Amino acid sequence: MNSKKVGKKYKYIDHLSDIGIEFYGKKLEELFENAAVGMFSIMCDLELVKPQEKRNIKISQKDPCCEDLLVLWLERLLYLYEVDDVLFSEFKVGGIHKKGRNLTLTAEISGEKIDLNKHEIKIAVKAPTYHMLEIKRDDRYCDWKGRIIFDV
Amino acid sequence: MDYKIKKINDYKWEIEKNEKYGMRVPGIIFADRQLLDHAVNEKTIDQVINVATLPGILKASYAMPDIHYGYGFPIGGVAAFDEDSGIISPGGVGFDISCGVRTLRTNLNIGDIKDRLQDIMSILSFNIPRGVGSKGKIRLSKNQLTQLLKEGVGWAVRNGYGWEEDKYFIEENGCMAGANTDYVSSLAMDRGMGQIGTLGSGNHFLEIQAVDEIYDTGAAESLGLEKDQITIMIHCGSRGFGHQVCSDYIRVMQQSAAKYGIKLPDRQLACAPLSSLEARKYYGAMACAANYAMGNRHCLAHWVREAFERFFGKSSEKLGIGLIYDVSHNIAKMEEHDVDGKLRKVCVHRKGATRSYPPGHKDIPDKYKSIGQPVIVPGDMGRYSYILLGTEKAMSESFGSTCHGAGRLMSRSKAKRNINGSELKKELFDKKGIVVMAGSMAGLAEEAPQAYKDVSKVVDVTHFAGISKKAVRLRPLGVLKG
Repeated sequence: MNSKKVGKKYKYIDHLSDIGIEFYGKKLEELFENAAVGMFSIMCDLELVKPQEKRNIKISQKDPCCEDLLVLWLERLLYLYEVDDVLFSEFKVGGIHKKGRNLTLTAEISGEKIDLNKHEIKIAVKAPTYHMLEIKRDDRYCDWKGRIIFDV
Repeated sequence: MDYKIKKINDYKWEIEKNEKYGMRVPGIIFADRQLLDHAVNEKTIDQVINVATLPGILKASYAMPDIHYGYGFPIGGVAAFDEDSGIISPGGVGFDISCGVRTLRTNLNIGDIKDRLQDIMSILSFNIPRGVGSKGKIRLSKNQLTQLLKEGVGWAVRNGYGWEEDKYFIEENGCMAGANTDYVSSLAMDRGMGQIGTLGSGNHFLEIQAVDEIYDTGAAESLGLEKDQITIMIHCGSRGFGHQVCSDYIRVMQQSAAKYGIKLPDRQLACAPLSSLEARKYYGAMACAANYAMGNRHCLAHWVREAFERFFGKSSEKLGIGLIYDVSHNIAKMEEHDVDGKLRKVCVHRKGATRSYPPGHKDIPDKYKSIGQPVIVPGDMGRYSYILLGTEKAMSESFGSTCHGAGRLMSRSKAKRNINGSELKKELFDKKGIVVMAGSMAGLAEEAPQAYKDVSKVVDVTHFAGISKKAVRLRPLGVLKG
């Protein structure tokens, strides 16, 4: 096991115009959770966000690959952030299941209503992109690794 | 990627067509040697080459001198596609559909506000909903949003935001034809209802500026500008509404590309033939987002007028706060262009590029018919912005397009590591007298002047390449960031 990676959820990667992250997980579910942590960390210091407001999410897509589902997941989180005015800081992906041609993700997410006196919003993420998007199994460590660029 | 660069002249370079990468046309880069080297070092040329592989692309895959590395299309990229054999690509427009810039003139000059800058900026800061997490002053019902999406600034004017005559100084007269709300998702509608009249974050801003230099006296007169006059610039787009429209259709077009057998060198370039139902739907939804963006800038301009009225105790008519022009620099439009001696209808994608129509063009306001379309080019918060004019040469050289800004030089993470937002704010005030107000100091650091190329060098290239010409230079006095 690479000791440097123990407990590490994500890291920023350099991109000239926008912001990218590389994210890790022992399981695919954890990989998706850490991508979400990385995305919201771009916007705000998540230490300041209490997990008070809960939402349940179920997303489903026909014939997707993992990357497609990841984009859909992150888009849905941004939608909830904007429409409900909630910054999310904790993500529990219950499962990612394939049924027939559908891939379904269920999750419980928690966060706090935005309070600008408390939460400094550094920059808003506009959307996840498909550019350089990648999810792969890192066989050396039996875990997962992903990469995504966000438009900010 | 390896490629050959051929020098056409000091400001124009050709990336030779290479079958190995599936290029259908060459790449054309408008740049001086230094800007070209930057694009080469940042691998941005690879993105120019990728765009050159898309079906139905005409003449060349173009890059303006503010080109920098984006996702899919380069930022500063222009590509025109044949109506019959070409495609439309949501990624070639970008998430912030119809992001753009407008400039308002006033009859004030530096002397009128120099000593009161801090106060007027405070009023603007209070009056302009700008940051993330802060909702606008307007909350629309679904029906009201539907009207806005169909009418653009017409909706804003009917509801008391902005002047009727303003619309003649906006591309498409403030309402893009073809908007169809049937093609907009409920998610986009939900995001759009609470965000109209908000500035957003990132590189969006509102600035009080002053006319710093005039290059073309006659044009400045037509624009109603003279030295030291105060102007206001607003840079923003279609907010979460546009982002959702783009996301929705990039997903749709991932399937379309496979369905129509289009090979994509980058998934973000997902596209569909212009003749397909998917393309028609995207165009209808994109036009809705363009109307949202133009309506958004209209509401913000209205509150700028209100703030100035309160501060100076005079009506905005008396203060002469009229719209000079409003441009969209992330958009795809069906336009008529001369291709090999024939007038053809083409779909011009401008991803971080501005329309640059020449004098006499039917789509520019009568007031500017003799000088050409005003092209508004914002620079960074510490140096300059420009008003350029469209040219005939842009029609033959770049499908009527020119640059849109300075272009990034330094990544956001590098800027954040090297620059302290609070120190930057102080330095801009101490050294240049520029008052900066920002929602986030970390966000401000990412937008520091040193993170951008020198916009003067960028506009010089467009001037000498002939794709737009310099009219007026503006300098920032007060900067409001999200």
